Amino acid sequence: MKLRSCAAVFLRALPLALVVAAVSGVNADDDFPPKLAAQILELEPDAQLFIHSGGIFDYMPRRQLEHEADRRDPEGFARLVEEVLAVAAQMGYDARRDMGAIPLNLNSKRFNEHNVTTPKALRELEREPGPFSVHRYLFPTSGVPTFAGAPVAIWPEDLIAGKVDVAIVGIPNDMGSGRRNAEHGPRVMRALNTIGMPDTQSLVDPMQTLSVVDYGDFAVDNMSTERTIAHVELMVAETASTGAIPMLVGGDTSMLYPGVKGVARHHGEGEFGLLHISAHPDVDRHAVHSVSDEQVLFLLLDENVVRGEHTIQVGLRGPAVTKDSLAWLREKEVRYHTMAEIAEKGFAEVFKRVIKESQQGPQQLFLSVDVSVIEPSEMIGAGRLTSNGLRVAELSRAVRYLCAAQDIVGFEITDMAPMFDRSGLSTVNANALLNACLVGIAVRREGLGPEYVHPLAASHGRY
Amino acid sequence: MDAIERARFFREGACSAKARLASTGSAFRRSSTESFSYVLYSVLVLCIAVTPRVWGTEQASKRYDLSGHVVGTQPYPFDTVDPREERKERSPIEIPEQFADKLSALTELEKAFLQSPPARRFAGDLDSTLNTLKGKTAEEVKDWVQAMMLVIEAAAYKPDRDQANIPLNTDSPRFNAWRLRRPRSMDPPREAGPIPLGRYGGRGGPPTFGGYPLALTSEDLIAGEVDVAIVGAPLNMGSGWRDSGPAATTQMRLLGRPMGSADQYVQINASKVLNIVDYGDVAIDNASTERSMKHVRDVVREIAETGAVPVIIGGDHSLEYPNVAALADVYGKEKVSVIHFDSHYDAWWGRADLISHGAPVYRLILEGHVRAADYLQVGLRASGPDKSGFRWMREQGMRYHTMAEVERRGWSEVLDRVVAEASEEGRKLHISFDIDVVDPAFMVATGTPVSGGLTMRESIAIVRRLCAEANVVGFDLVELHPALDPTYATTLNSAFVVKACLTGLAMREKGLDAKHYLSPLSSEHALDDYYGDQREFLRATAAEEEKEAIRRDPPQE
Repeated sequence: MKLRSCAAVFLRALPLALVVAAVSGVNADDDFPPKLAAQILELEPDAQLFIHSGGIFDYMPRRQLEHEADRRDPEGFARLVEEVLAVAAQMGYDARRDMGAIPLNLNSKRFNEHNVTTPKALRELEREPGPFSVHRYLFPTSGVPTFAGAPVAIWPEDLIAGKVDVAIVGIPNDMGSGRRNAEHGPRVMRALNTIGMPDTQSLVDPMQTLSVVDYGDFAVDNMSTERTIAHVELMVAETASTGAIPMLVGGDTSMLYPGVKGVARHHGEGEFGLLHISAHPDVDRHAVHSVSDEQVLFLLLDENVVRGEHTIQVGLRGPAVTKDSLAWLREKEVRYHTMAEIAEKGFAEVFKRVIKESQQGPQQLFLSVDVSVIEPSEMIGAGRLTSNGLRVAELSRAVRYLCAAQDIVGFEITDMAPMFDRSGLSTVNANALLNACLVGIAVRREGLGPEYVHPLAASHGRY
Repeated sequence: MDAIERARFFREGACSAKARLASTGSAFRRSSTESFSYVLYSVLVLCIAVTPRVWGTEQASKRYDLSGHVVGTQPYPFDTVDPREERKERSPIEIPEQFADKLSALTELEKAFLQSPPARRFAGDLDSTLNTLKGKTAEEVKDWVQAMMLVIEAAAYKPDRDQANIPLNTDSPRFNAWRLRRPRSMDPPREAGPIPLGRYGGRGGPPTFGGYPLALTSEDLIAGEVDVAIVGAPLNMGSGWRDSGPAATTQMRLLGRPMGSADQYVQINASKVLNIVDYGDVAIDNASTERSMKHVRDVVREIAETGAVPVIIGGDHSLEYPNVAALADVYGKEKVSVIHFDSHYDAWWGRADLISHGAPVYRLILEGHVRAADYLQVGLRASGPDKSGFRWMREQGMRYHTMAEVERRGWSEVLDRVVAEASEEGRKLHISFDIDVVDPAFMVATGTPVSGGLTMRESIAIVRRLCAEANVVGFDLVELHPALDPTYATTLNSAFVVKACLTGLAMREKGLDAKHYLSPLSSEHALDDYYGDQREFLRATAAEEEKEAIRRDPPQE
């Protein structure tokens, strides 16, 4: 940033420079066309600095400023810059004008009521710990819906007693920055009973191989993500500590933050890799709210919960993929793969690279799928919908592969908003992706490699 | 706890937070590696922290009294204890002597607790408590009592354990970006006033509410002598179903053309009588209802200050709070009455958040913008409130008209009673219309539908009558969720509710504010005397025609 300033200008421009320094990501050069350069010379020093520093270009494109300099008289041009400057000065926080924190009702007797779990002595039913069926019949085809039609576990002692391998949990939070309704994701994914399907490639049935349970939902406060994260983190950590793999069903993508942090509480920070399959990089560093889907990856990397070189992103595209966000990811050594790379090399080639990258990192992997990564024709219910995405067929194959190849410590699928998809297709595909990972885990547990194909599935055996 | 650590980080002043940033090289540092600008930035932040004075703020804080708003990191300035909570508690019990051995392991405090009202929620009444005691050993009783106390303690706010507020990142360089207004001089100069967006007599441009012209500033409202400004407020935080935000205000623009059409019942076209504009949308921070409230209030106030009637299209019902507070800012506290159409009474309180779509009524009363006695409730039928809620309303003088009353008396009786109450003393009135007051058969695309509501025929009549017969100074229509509305019926019906009010306001403007006015020409063919009042209709029609003729062609004096 070039700052041509003498002491007087410097002093005068203090508040301005704050704005400039804070806001501007643009490096302006002084190579302005003559008309604009001449107009700038007529301005007050702070206004001059505002343009030279490039700060003004956060508010209007450079071509527009050049155009305005051409068509306006000096007075009109000065007024324009001054007005933009005045707006820029209101951009930051002022304690006398702005709310710096959202107040809460401290007299509320129900302040934490949404996440108070029932103590043992108040539980109405006494039963031996362990997962239990919600069905009357041995081979039920309907009834109370659960993930994968699996038995229910409520407490960690149920997970331990049942030697549970995989606990599928809903986190119905719904504060995402896109279209909303992710809170109904867990419900409809339960209702459409297509998780726990046998694997066509290896003919492994995950429900035979693994002890899978529906671990209910973790409580959220849908008026505040901030008030939700601590509880979810604790619950995820508790789940992981029983030895079960938490498979988390969002909810919007902000829950990736407590999800990964919870797993890190048990497995250790920086001990596992993170594969975030998402259209959105989620690395907003200047957000006003302390946690949201737009900033989960920034928070996780910034707090060193996962390490940049162990983090892989696949499928990036859309409004948040900017020079700024990619440069930051590169600085953090994140292995990112944009749709531009995938279009250029083909998904198969890029996926090979992803496999290699994941092999170079820790054996343990947290795999996250934000359904926005998928092509909208197969996932119209995505909260942060973005065109030109991955196909479910290729992605579920990739998810299955990685869940079989790596030691999965956590899986999360987020931001499926069923309200926007009356056909139910989005739910079918979200379940397919979750099932792909479940199958991968089962294949690994059976001691088979990710590439193993059962001979019966490979061919009918006749010429 | 990491969350609390982060919270503390956000709570700290800019100075110390920045100092820590500099030392740890942690959050919110810019990616830029130019050390000069970073040093400059740090120095400046420190200076600014000492004198937090940025251009434009002086004007903002002088112009409005901020005491009613939450600013800075101050806690909410009103007492938030809800007297209804304590009254709801059941009476204590006294456990007979013969159970002493069961209580032997308890401390005095625990014994007292077990017999106190809060324990009734878990242990039930005396019989139920004794029943449970019989089945437990003294040790088990102790576990049981401690568990109850634990739940109560865990649910309530506790300093040092719970976040007292939700801190925001006050270092964010774009803290206010969401609500910054575009400087006028960025666009070519134009005369102030409503802007027709279309090429063909104002039509054919981008969709606006009812096809009305666009206004962007209060100067436009003043220059255009605007009577009604329809403004969108895309608040997306209501519980139940979400996505009532930008989708709702957009759909109302796309499909809400009936808002701009003539009314057959009273033979008036509001758009010919009143100057009506689309005032765009209010900026909303959809990660926090609370944070959006002040800005909505500012914009609604800005409309009302010009004398125009603000018509707010939501968004969820939290909006009733800033809408009415803004009217109180302009017309004075306790000077505006409110009629709340809803299947829910929205005076819930006691949750951790201070505003949600269940709490606007209570918060308005708590902050003194409206007296409870100046509140009218119409259409209540949801599962709550319970007796304590109704008792509270009755004691406060809040007049409620439930669907139970409609079932008892019939709609037309209730309609007349409501309009009479709302028109008392010519008081200024705000109408807050939650579309879930209407039966889900007509309005299914709403967050919390409840069966057994008003028909559209009833809704149109009562809204038209209120806007004609009462002194309406504000109107809002909330809780439309277009994603649940594939047939467009709910959006269409919502537009007709708004049209009913616009028509009513136009009737009042033309002096047609008599009780239940309907056009004598359109409401009766008068070709025979079927109802026995043919002559009356013929006379009224003739009188109106005469008046029209005089207006068209004033007699020369």
